[in-house]
Amino acid sequence: MKTRTNSYVHCPLCGFEFERRDAPCAHSCPLGKFCNLICCPNCRYEFPEQPRSISWLQRLFHRSPAKPVQRDSIPLPELEEGEHSELVCLNCAHASRRNALAVYGLVPGSRLVLQQKRPTFVVRVGETELALEAEIAQEILVKRI
Amino acid sequence: MNSTQEIVAPTTLTTILLVGNPNVGKSVLFSKLTGKYVTVSNYPGTTVEIARGETAIEDEPFAVIDTPGVNDLAPRAEDARVTCDVLRDYPEATIVQVADAKNLRRALLLTLQLAELNRPQVLVLNMMDELDKCGAHVNVRKLSELLGIPVVPTIATAGTGVHLLQKQIGSARPAVAPHHHNNIETYLAQANEILAQTYTHVRPHHPTFAQKLGWWATHPVKGFAILALVLYFTFWFVGLIGAGTAVGFFENIVFGRYVNPWAIRVVDTVLPFPHHHHTEVSHYRFEIPVTPARGILLYESSRDILAPTYSLDPDAMSGWWTQARRLAHDFLVGEYGVITMAISYALAIVLPIVTTFFLVFSLLEDSGYLPRLAIMVNRVFRTMGLNGKAVLPMILGLGCDTMATMTTRILETRKERVITTLLLALAIPCSAQLGVLLAMTARISFGAAALWCALMIVIMIVIGWLTARLLGGETSDFILEIPPMRRPQLSNVFIKTFARLEWYLKEVVPLFILGTGILFMLDKLHVLDKIARFGEPLVTGWLGLPREMANAFLIGFLRRDYGAVYLLDAATGSNAVLTPHQVLVAMVTITLFMPCIATLFMISRELGKKTAAIITIFIFPFAFFMGGLVHHFGMWLGF
Repeated sequence: MKTRTNSYVHCPLCGFEFERRDAPCAHSCPLGKFCNLICCPNCRYEFPEQPRSISWLQRLFHRSPAKPVQRDSIPLPELEEGEHSELVCLNCAHASRRNALAVYGLVPGSRLVLQQKRPTFVVRVGETELALEAEIAQEILVKRI
Repeated sequence: MNSTQEIVAPTTLTTILLVGNPNVGKSVLFSKLTGKYVTVSNYPGTTVEIARGETAIEDEPFAVIDTPGVNDLAPRAEDARVTCDVLRDYPEATIVQVADAKNLRRALLLTLQLAELNRPQVLVLNMMDELDKCGAHVNVRKLSELLGIPVVPTIATAGTGVHLLQKQIGSARPAVAPHHHNNIETYLAQANEILAQTYTHVRPHHPTFAQKLGWWATHPVKGFAILALVLYFTFWFVGLIGAGTAVGFFENIVFGRYVNPWAIRVVDTVLPFPHHHHTEVSHYRFEIPVTPARGILLYESSRDILAPTYSLDPDAMSGWWTQARRLAHDFLVGEYGVITMAISYALAIVLPIVTTFFLVFSLLEDSGYLPRLAIMVNRVFRTMGLNGKAVLPMILGLGCDTMATMTTRILETRKERVITTLLLALAIPCSAQLGVLLAMTARISFGAAALWCALMIVIMIVIGWLTARLLGGETSDFILEIPPMRRPQLSNVFIKTFARLEWYLKEVVPLFILGTGILFMLDKLHVLDKIARFGEPLVTGWLGLPREMANAFLIGFLRRDYGAVYLLDAATGSNAVLTPHQVLVAMVTITLFMPCIATLFMISRELGKKTAAIITIFIFPFAFFMGGLVHHFGMWLGF
């Protein structure tokens, strides 16, 4: 079993929290699975994964184990229509898509209202109404407020 | 869609560049400053080409340039690149940034990026009335202090604040740009900081009726009901009022009873030769249509009129002078005459249909319904390798394919532009063509007409899907800002309709005259007959049509509706030669033709000669192929 119960990682630079499997730095990287760098999807900082042996040592010396993270950020499509939320992060694969959303004010910390889900997602950010495809909505992680 | 197309050349005048997010009213402000009309609409990305004009401020002339909207100075779409190029080409220009006061955050993002350029800058807060309606307030003085540039509140549609702006141009200065950033997040943090100090919500706002209507229009159930209503209204207004009542009036009364007989008489007096014209019975019904089959009859009349056809008197002399006069006579008012065919066709059939269509289109455009339509059809367009944004060129294509081909520039990737252009050229008839084709459906059953319509939609989806597969590449993300629903300003609707009509007529009328000229020449040189014989295997053998129909397809190369008029005559004229089955075959073939030769030129301008050639080489054989398929399939089914 290679799956770990706690697959959440903290970025040491920006403090951003994300799932381990979301973090390959580049798909075409020749190192492939031999690379043990993790790339933070928020700030693009690359850092080495904490080896198991170290976490084992930490546990041995009674350092408090990593707390299981409460999953409070959910993808936008899981909200109900009309619900208010705060944007936690954009999990977009391409920086261009992130920028495209950012210019409309969709950045971490902004408040949004999910107006409708079908036939296309519509969100309201401030006075801007924005239509998004389901694929993009899936990459927007939000927190209910 | 702007009329000015010249390449920018630096001038000696001080230049004002109007820059800003899409759909904030740059073009309205441009018209107010320069008094020059440019297309204005409630759809993000209407301006695809820059427009230039001049204005005088305290007797000093200024050049004003209107640019396509940008959200970000790192351009994604082609139109954003245009703006960046203009900014680079005019290093001395004063930048007037136009902002939607309601969306101050986004505007500030752009302000901060523009500030990096270190140019004299003015910020215009437009749509102050809408800001007030949604219950918010912007502290203009504070904003001006923070940014270090003049800030002018305006309501461009009403002209409020334009005078103040002119005064403030002189005091434009580079904005305070304390840091040098390079990513959007830091700009945003700064924008938020400024926003917190200047933007306040005064009162909670309740959704207005327009807002509710906007929500309904994108609702999965109510949205389709509204779509159906809009479609029926468009069909009623364009198809029944425009193509029925108005065309009937112009064709039968204005041209049939007055202009044509009058022109024939004048030409006969000026260029006499022994002949007499036949007479026809013109029957006219004036009714207000409700559905295609039923209407309220208001007036009915019939009368004998002079027809362009004539027979020579038996004692006619055949001197060369008489022959020359006869030739000139035929060129003007003969069967293929400039007045009796080209002009009467352009003005009596095309003009009413196109006018009504552009009226409806401008109404839809200004109300803000089109982006909502894009939301409704996004799913379907995805299968064709496009996204919902392609709906604007597609709908505009129902008005004029050439204009629509130019508008494909609002699409972000080349793949989308190629697919949209191909589908426009293949399966979207422009309103005049649609009008003629609809008139032909009168000869076939309702089922056959529905079959024709369904066939076109299926062809569009299948060809779109195949092309998307073939081309590869990416379809851009569907991220579309939805503008608020607004009550369309009637004056703007009319001005826009006239601007489009002018464009259309300038493009189409010369083509009609050229087409008629060619037909006339071919008829006189007796080439029509030879062409008919030459095209016989294709037209008679494969399509199963009478061989004279080759002429229709020949002239269909020029404009497909022109070819269709020829078919219409053969289908519904006084001596109809086509059976309903043949009418359907002819309709399918001619609909799939290239819309007109002007579209071809526009395609090669927009996508390059090679792509234009490939599209053409695909379209014509494909049109004949599908026509033949319908013929043989119909025969096999026993029609």
